[in-house]
Amino acid sequence: MTDAVVEVRDLRKTFRVSERQEGLAATLRSFVRRQRRDINAVAGITFGIEAGEVVGFLGPNGAGKTTTLKMLSGLLYPTGGEARVLGFVPWRRENAYLQQMTLLMGNRTQLVWDIPAADSFRVLQEIYRVPEDSFRKTVGELTELLELQELVHKPVRNLSLGERMKVEFAAGLIQSPRVAFLDEPTIGLDISMQVRIRRFVAEYNRRTGATILLTSHYMDDVVALCKRVIVIHHGQLLYDGPLADLAERMAPFKVIVATLHDGAAADLSVYGTVVARDEGRITLKVDRQIAPERAARLVNDLGDRLTDISVEDPPIEEVIDRVFSGERVGTAP
Amino acid sequence: MRYLRLLALFFRTELAYELEYRTNLALELLQMVVIVTTSVAAVLVLFNYTTVLNGWDLGAMLVLLGCFYLVQGFGELVLQPSFEKFMEHVRLGTLDFALLKPASAQFLVTLRHFQVVQLAQMGLGAVVVIAGLPRVSTLGPAEAATFVIALVCGFTLIYALLLALSTFAFWFVRIDNLMAIYWSFLDAGRFPVDIYPGWLRVTLSSAVPIGVAVTVPAQAISGRLDLIGLGLLVVGTIAAFFLASWFWRLGLRSYTGASA
Amino acid sequence: MIDVYRALFVGQIQAASQYRVQSILWMLFAVIRPVIFLAAWVAVAGAQGGRVGSYDVRDFAAYYVALSLVANLATSWNSYEFEFEIRMGRLSPKLLRPLHPIHYAVVENIVWKMTTIIPMLVVLGFIAATFDARFRSTPAHLALFVPSVVLGAALAFLAGWVVATTAFWTTRVHAVATLWDRAAFIFAGQIAPLALLPGPLQTIALVLPFGYMLGVPAEILQGAVDVPTAILLIAVQAVWVGIFYALLQVVWRVGVRQYTGVGA
Repeated sequence: MTDAVVEVRDLRKTFRVSERQEGLAATLRSFVRRQRRDINAVAGITFGIEAGEVVGFLGPNGAGKTTTLKMLSGLLYPTGGEARVLGFVPWRRENAYLQQMTLLMGNRTQLVWDIPAADSFRVLQEIYRVPEDSFRKTVGELTELLELQELVHKPVRNLSLGERMKVEFAAGLIQSPRVAFLDEPTIGLDISMQVRIRRFVAEYNRRTGATILLTSHYMDDVVALCKRVIVIHHGQLLYDGPLADLAERMAPFKVIVATLHDGAAADLSVYGTVVARDEGRITLKVDRQIAPERAARLVNDLGDRLTDISVEDPPIEEVIDRVFSGERVGTAP
Repeated sequence: MRYLRLLALFFRTELAYELEYRTNLALELLQMVVIVTTSVAAVLVLFNYTTVLNGWDLGAMLVLLGCFYLVQGFGELVLQPSFEKFMEHVRLGTLDFALLKPASAQFLVTLRHFQVVQLAQMGLGAVVVIAGLPRVSTLGPAEAATFVIALVCGFTLIYALLLALSTFAFWFVRIDNLMAIYWSFLDAGRFPVDIYPGWLRVTLSSAVPIGVAVTVPAQAISGRLDLIGLGLLVVGTIAAFFLASWFWRLGLRSYTGASA
Repeated sequence: MIDVYRALFVGQIQAASQYRVQSILWMLFAVIRPVIFLAAWVAVAGAQGGRVGSYDVRDFAAYYVALSLVANLATSWNSYEFEFEIRMGRLSPKLLRPLHPIHYAVVENIVWKMTTIIPMLVVLGFIAATFDARFRSTPAHLALFVPSVVLGAALAFLAGWVVATTAFWTTRVHAVATLWDRAAFIFAGQIAPLALLPGPLQTIALVLPFGYMLGVPAEILQGAVDVPTAILLIAVQAVWVGIFYALLQVVWRVGVRQYTGVGA
């Protein structure tokens, strides 16, 4: 772990929030004595990340991923434990550290609204003290990779959401950081833009070898980009390892959703465990290994009666919930 | 040095943007001329009935009014836009970006945005000062120097005040009301502080130092400021600046410790 | 219509309770300005042996207290808000409702004034005491004050709307509104009671509508004019209200056509 770019050991963050019940009596009472509750946003996690890795932090909302990211980028002081990024203690926010890192937050923009992105790039160049030739080269590459030619000279407020995200990305990488923290980078974007952003991140990592940590509650982000994933839930690290193993280990089943003309009457329990029935849509749980075969059988057997069919991974929240509660996910009959 | 370059860059970027909207610019300039002219008219109406107001004659009053617009202009040039943006950042959670840049967060936040057209307000203020000056005194190097120092102190005092006020945004998020109070008190700086009743006078010389920020430079250029007064002003300004900066950083620490 | 107004009122009062603190603070803002000029005139009077024209220090105090009260009751801020509403796209849905947008503004205006009147009176009482204000008004004056301030408020409101409708043609209503406010600054009685404005300015002030929004009600409340003159002034106010009402009808219709022609 000595060459690791990111080293985290037993990192903790507890928030103290004041609680108040509804009603006048409670309001008055809280004036006199505040009731406080401790929330363990991050409850002791440990991991390390090597240079050039692209690691995904996966977990439902409120799991602690963003809090972890904020501590690693330097925005938050932890309550306990330690962390080092590029050898620095992040929350000291030393200039030498800030020079080499970047934080990109989905749906939050650091660009000034009214001026073209190109002008903002220049400001960033000055702030990060990027020499002119590196600047031109970097901006050129980013423009090419993200297809920004038409976009950088328009005022940012005239860009669509997807275009803005692309330009945001470029702005966040002007300084060619060695570490990039991406917080929910594809949130709110349409599918095609999500795909483009994912491709960009992968390519950027390939070209520059930058270490990338991204948080997301979209499984697709992680699947597309990360060979390694860290699952966080209730502030605890549930899984840290190759993505390929995660689905298999955590939830060895697939979800088949079949839509039929006469779905209400159909009995598909022979194909898998019926989980839900919603008019014509029937949701089945099927053991992962045999899912493709079962789906094929469904299509074959039902023929015209079948209007739609999909084979999906189980929703991540469900997987994680089950893992956390210690349950192994069942297999199909 | 580097910060000066950054400042120039912020300014230039904003200038390029404002120049694009020529009608807007023209209207804003017109507005400014109208505002300053009507204020001068107000002073003239007052002086229609008297030659002296609490020891200030017309020339001195014009100098004071000019200094008022110099100080207010500076506030609207860079402080108002930047602090308004700062409050928005706190509200939207985008302050984080400024914190992670390898430069002073305080600088990047409080001196970031300009409203270049307000330079005209400062220019008009200077014009009014020059208009009032001949009646008051002759301008020598000593007066000019003390004037510049006093003016810079005035700018810094207003900066310190705004910085301290804006710190409450870290805890209360929406402090537009607080800012509204500030602006209303600022308006009182158009007249010499000593015409106001006690409580207001004291406020304008301490908590809302607009009285000091405007009156002292006016006295300086009229040759009515002694070295001791200037010294006190400079010391007070430096103290106010460091105190406000310390307070702001305190708010920042609380923000980074408590946000999720 | 009564029911509609009742509904609007209820909604607005609920909204206003959120902004209680805000309204009070904005009111503070509105009060400082007259205090500034009052102090200036007191200083002038002081240098002139205690009087300026027919006003002594206590008269000035009464005038500015009256002016502040009237300003609070007659203020209108539509010009600024209207542009905002258009930009935010909030006007279009209102145009599609069977209720002229102006009614929302009327109710909002009145409710705001209701929430600020008590604290305003407290602050003004304090100022009146500090400066030892003396009102020369009689019960007749006070009786006449009511229609006068209502007309003044109506005039300010209508005029404000006429200015606001320029938003249909230009996005820079702010500039127009500022010019309008600055004219009011001089001619509505803020710099000086109308009687004290130097010759030419005074003549202009009597011809322009601004004085009839604030200055006239203030002077009636203070008692600076006698009853017959007050009645005459109120008549002139009514005329101005009529003029601006008619003007608003025209400008609004043209403006909406323009606005919906370009794609609301």
